Amino acid sequence: MSAAIRAEFRKFFTTRLWWGMAIAVILSGAAFAVLFALVFTSDIARGPQGAAVPTTDAALAKAVFTGGIQIGYLLTLAIGVMTIGAEYRHQTITATFLAVPRRGRVMGAKVISLLVIGAFYGVLSLAGAVGAGALVLTAKGHHPFADSSIWRTLALSLLVLGLWALIGLGAGILIPNQVAALLISIAVAWIVEPVLGLVLALTDWGQNISPYLPSRATAAMLESTSGGFDGQPVDQLSWWAGALVLAAYAAVMAGLGTWRTVRRDIA
Amino acid sequence: MDPAGPEPTGRIEVRGLTKHFGSFTAVDHLDLDVAPGRITGFLGPNGAGKTTTLRMLLGLVRPTAGTATIDGRRYADIPNPLTVVGSALEATNFHPGRTGRNHLRVQAAASGVSDKRVDELLELVGIPAAARKRAGGYSMGMRQRLGLAAAMLGDPHVLILDEPANGLDPEGIRWLRGFLRHLADEGRTLLISSHMLSEVEQTVDDVVIIANGRRVAQGTVEELRGEPTAFVRTSDPDRLTAALQQRGLRVAPKGSGLQVTTEDLAVVGDIAHASDVAIHELRSEQTHLEELFFNLTETEGDRNRLTGATSARAGGSPDLPPPTLPPPSGPPVDPSVIAAPPADAKETGR
Repeated sequence: MSAAIRAEFRKFFTTRLWWGMAIAVILSGAAFAVLFALVFTSDIARGPQGAAVPTTDAALAKAVFTGGIQIGYLLTLAIGVMTIGAEYRHQTITATFLAVPRRGRVMGAKVISLLVIGAFYGVLSLAGAVGAGALVLTAKGHHPFADSSIWRTLALSLLVLGLWALIGLGAGILIPNQVAALLISIAVAWIVEPVLGLVLALTDWGQNISPYLPSRATAAMLESTSGGFDGQPVDQLSWWAGALVLAAYAAVMAGLGTWRTVRRDIA
Repeated sequence: MDPAGPEPTGRIEVRGLTKHFGSFTAVDHLDLDVAPGRITGFLGPNGAGKTTTLRMLLGLVRPTAGTATIDGRRYADIPNPLTVVGSALEATNFHPGRTGRNHLRVQAAASGVSDKRVDELLELVGIPAAARKRAGGYSMGMRQRLGLAAAMLGDPHVLILDEPANGLDPEGIRWLRGFLRHLADEGRTLLISSHMLSEVEQTVDDVVIIANGRRVAQGTVEELRGEPTAFVRTSDPDRLTAALQQRGLRVAPKGSGLQVTTEDLAVVGDIAHASDVAIHELRSEQTHLEELFFNLTETEGDRNRLTGATSARAGGSPDLPPPTLPPPSGPPVDPSVIAAPPADAKETGR
């Protein structure tokens, strides 16, 4: 198993994908942190017209530091899709299964390596976000590390990126064409699902469902407040329940993908 | 590589192997034996089921029925299989953005082989410098050599090579022959598939021919080749027959002339001259093996024309349904003519 995991890491770090992604993650982390820090501390946002703005220093820091996480998890979602999609597209899956014919073991190695890779990009994202965000917050007179729950948010954001990578892994298997898998999963995760969450929150029956959507569970996990259409903060799960829900999505997607992969003919 | 177990012998056994892709039968109750320490040619026209058979043997395709084992074990049951069985399946199995060397290093990591061996193998197949470039720009010959290096990675006793000569230039084919012979001389078992008899005829010890997913012939090259014969047309068949038989040659009437069991045309010509008989035609005949194989490939070409673009590749099954086998007949043909283009070229060309 450790040999299979080592092979997965080598696969990942021997194409140009990883450092292109690394630059994107650092830059988006820093850019969104600065943007959020400036907006949330501006007079307009904090004035009478302002809505759904973090009021405490701790909530403000969480919102700022995780501002780039959505871009980050969309990128690791894409990495998850490509981890398996590229293998089928370039037929390297044949070599992979020749070296390790126990396919469940290969999938296990992919899951573990993606969790580590997710954490790796999480560190990069936070390096950009905390570096730039703490600077702006301090300059504006806010305490960037007001209480210890901020550290929990930072730690969980490493897990968030890994779990979204696993969702991508499943999507990359269940949608056989890699390009289609990338487009569909990004479009759903970036636009369709968040909008659906907001729309559901408007209805009586949907209010109870929307906290369980992946993006809402992610926000809950990181305790980053977000506003609905009416500008008021929406209901969300507690951080641990959000983590469990997102982990369940990751487990179901990776599990379905493994089930499919083990049975498939490699022709 | 497995000091606890018995020394592997490298015997490949296929029994009743069958694969259906939907309603199409790619491989049909195939039995196949590969003896340890020999080079076995696995021959058949494009679409005969060769690749599907090899992929079932390697655990990539799940058989509908039957078994395929190496030293009595299914591929998936071999611990660290790259150290027992090496295989090169297609020439395109590389990520275009990864260097050939890194591709091998990935495989080395997965099978616990040292990175030093990767560089040794790249030297052995003659691409140490080129393998440091990204694989997207590789020629077919480069890919074949890289594939061979990948197959050799775990120093396996058994090598399974699918169309290893595809895309090689004549110089490359000569190199490949020497390389394969060298591997066999080291006592390894080799199974080499090809759709071109001429590619492997001089290299292999044993031959298995399949068509339509079924075995058509199996034996040593000598057995299947049969005795060499010459065809002679003359002004006086009776007189020439008597003269030839007097010299101990076997003669039988065939068509408009005679079939003489010999490979030496000069002997026939000299005897005819001495007997004062005029010769109208004198030539070597195809061997039985060539004739058998030519009939398979020729009708396979017809079949491809009929099925055209509806070939199974797009439908998820890699093999085309081959034709029924006609009786060996037809004019003698230079075996090099048998060299059909790859299936892809043929399908798009028509």
